[in-house]
Amino acid sequence: MDPRELYGRQVPLTASEAAMLPDNCKLPAMLVTKQLVQCLRCGSQLDRKKAQLPQQQFYCYQCLNLGRISTLTHLYHMPEPNDFPTRPACTWQGQLTEQQKACALTIRENFEARKRHLLWAVTGAGKTEMLFPGITWALAQGWRIALASPRVDVCLELAPRLQAAFADAKIAVLHGRNPEPYQYRQHTICTTHQLLRFREAFDVLIIDEVDAFPFAANPRLAYAVKHAVKADGALLYLTATPSQALQKQVHRGELGISYLPLRFHQHLLPTIKVKLQPNWQQLLRRGQLPRCLVWKLQFYLDKHQRFLLFVPRVKQLAPVQAAIQHYFPELAGLTVHSTDAERLEKVQQMRDQKIQYLVTTTILERGVTFPGIDVIVLGADDEIFSTAALVQIAGRVGRSKERSTGLVWFICASHDRNIKRAQRQIALVNRKGRRLLRATLSPLSTAHS
Amino acid sequence: MGCGRAQTHKRLCQDCQRWPDNGTFHNIALFTYNDAMHRYFQQYKFQGDYQLRRVFAATMQQAVVEQNIDRVLSVPVTPTTMQTRGFNQVTGWLAAGMNQTELFTKAKSKAVPQSKKDRQARLQTPQPFELTTAVELAGQRVLLVDDIYTTGRTMRHAAALLMENGAKTVTGLTLAR
Repeated sequence: MDPRELYGRQVPLTASEAAMLPDNCKLPAMLVTKQLVQCLRCGSQLDRKKAQLPQQQFYCYQCLNLGRISTLTHLYHMPEPNDFPTRPACTWQGQLTEQQKACALTIRENFEARKRHLLWAVTGAGKTEMLFPGITWALAQGWRIALASPRVDVCLELAPRLQAAFADAKIAVLHGRNPEPYQYRQHTICTTHQLLRFREAFDVLIIDEVDAFPFAANPRLAYAVKHAVKADGALLYLTATPSQALQKQVHRGELGISYLPLRFHQHLLPTIKVKLQPNWQQLLRRGQLPRCLVWKLQFYLDKHQRFLLFVPRVKQLAPVQAAIQHYFPELAGLTVHSTDAERLEKVQQMRDQKIQYLVTTTILERGVTFPGIDVIVLGADDEIFSTAALVQIAGRVGRSKERSTGLVWFICASHDRNIKRAQRQIALVNRKGRRLLRATLSPLSTAHS
Repeated sequence: MGCGRAQTHKRLCQDCQRWPDNGTFHNIALFTYNDAMHRYFQQYKFQGDYQLRRVFAATMQQAVVEQNIDRVLSVPVTPTTMQTRGFNQVTGWLAAGMNQTELFTKAKSKAVPQSKKDRQARLQTPQPFELTTAVELAGQRVLLVDDIYTTGRTMRHAAALLMENGAKTVTGLTLAR
């Protein structure tokens, strides 16, 4: 195999693939001591019994999907030499707003200083475009960069946009469903899972939607990020909803932070309205909806207002849809969930305004824009809705210049902690947003905060 | 008699009728090889998730205990497979002490695994096994355990070898057919 494919990588190879490689690129794959069995690719500390193979061998059952690691295999790695012949330029023609420019500058400075940084930009702020100046600079230095996201949908959405913005340089797109073989490139877009295959590869590593599932719940992915970036590399987290853990790192000074509290159209985030309705599930079992929701739907029917209705569980989709159709047979809408075979078509129908509403689970919490919609969450106090999910759901509203506000309405049995935190997060960024607006509008102001 | 295939009638299945021994070889198959079983083997055998041996361990051990036999042998894997996969998928199901792998493969490694061959190619596979040292098989009823019965080629090669070495009877047991 081409040794360049091992630059900054750590992959198990078959005996025939490894035959021509120098010996010094061979690393142990597992660490086995009396106390500990650890996978050196994903960092998992394994249960000795579960990881046991016959004849005192061990394997890692945690990162099996990437090809099995065991004491019978080795990881092959070559240090990243930044062997890039060209210096691609940015071909993007668009304009950044003043606030985006300020953020873009901060990002670039953090790359230059090789720092760890968090960009807290509200949903619909235009995060991707703000990266371009920093990426352009890094590419010009001959740095190797990667943009990773926990969600394959996000990667697939970002890849064409970044490829268009950097048209001269082919970007490597890596995810589990991509059949194309790996190629050594200066610029990579991948899922955070794929980072497990890298070791000290990137001078700049950007993690988009760092709060999204499964990143937050999976310690292996945090390990992957830590090891995929060079020891002196820059790390940038992008999020609209930073987790408590990230915010703590900021407070401890381990992570720099900058905010973009205003959306690209300079408006604040819509705030969450909560309606307590403890018996909505009982009503639903009888095929009924809470009266407040029925009134709202009547209003939507009259005004032709489009909306998303979130429910916690897939199994609640059908009863809710049946109840809506029972009250308002003339209201056109569909249900959608993550394993729905027609998911993309249904979302497209909503985009094309062929239907007035979708009843959905958390899969539509992020990454989708339907201009001018309202959002209702039925059972917002369900444990499935994390604080991040709720803020993201609220962020579906008011994304267009034409209708920069809208209703975010949580119907729930209790005003629980996640809902309160979500409201607090939105209040916090709106406070920052208002301050920024005042600063930019006031003729006395000279600089942003 | 027959290969253990699930059918609605009691006649020998087409595949068994095509064997020159006319289906006198008897195999017990516990499950039908279907899509779910295919995925199980993908994960267990080919991806190497050894933990998954537990899924069928009890069932397999129970089936072994129920047979009226003197000795249990499992079909071996090549040394190369042992080096890369790290386990024999059949031995994984059986409790320690229950099986003694007395068969060995002649080849160090397989150029093409059985699972990549079509029926014709499978049937033309030459005897892949040999018996190491002198094993006392004389007069013994042997249970031969493998993972999947497909054409019956592997089973019959192993059975023939055991019979040549004095086994009284050889019965097959596989997880799937």
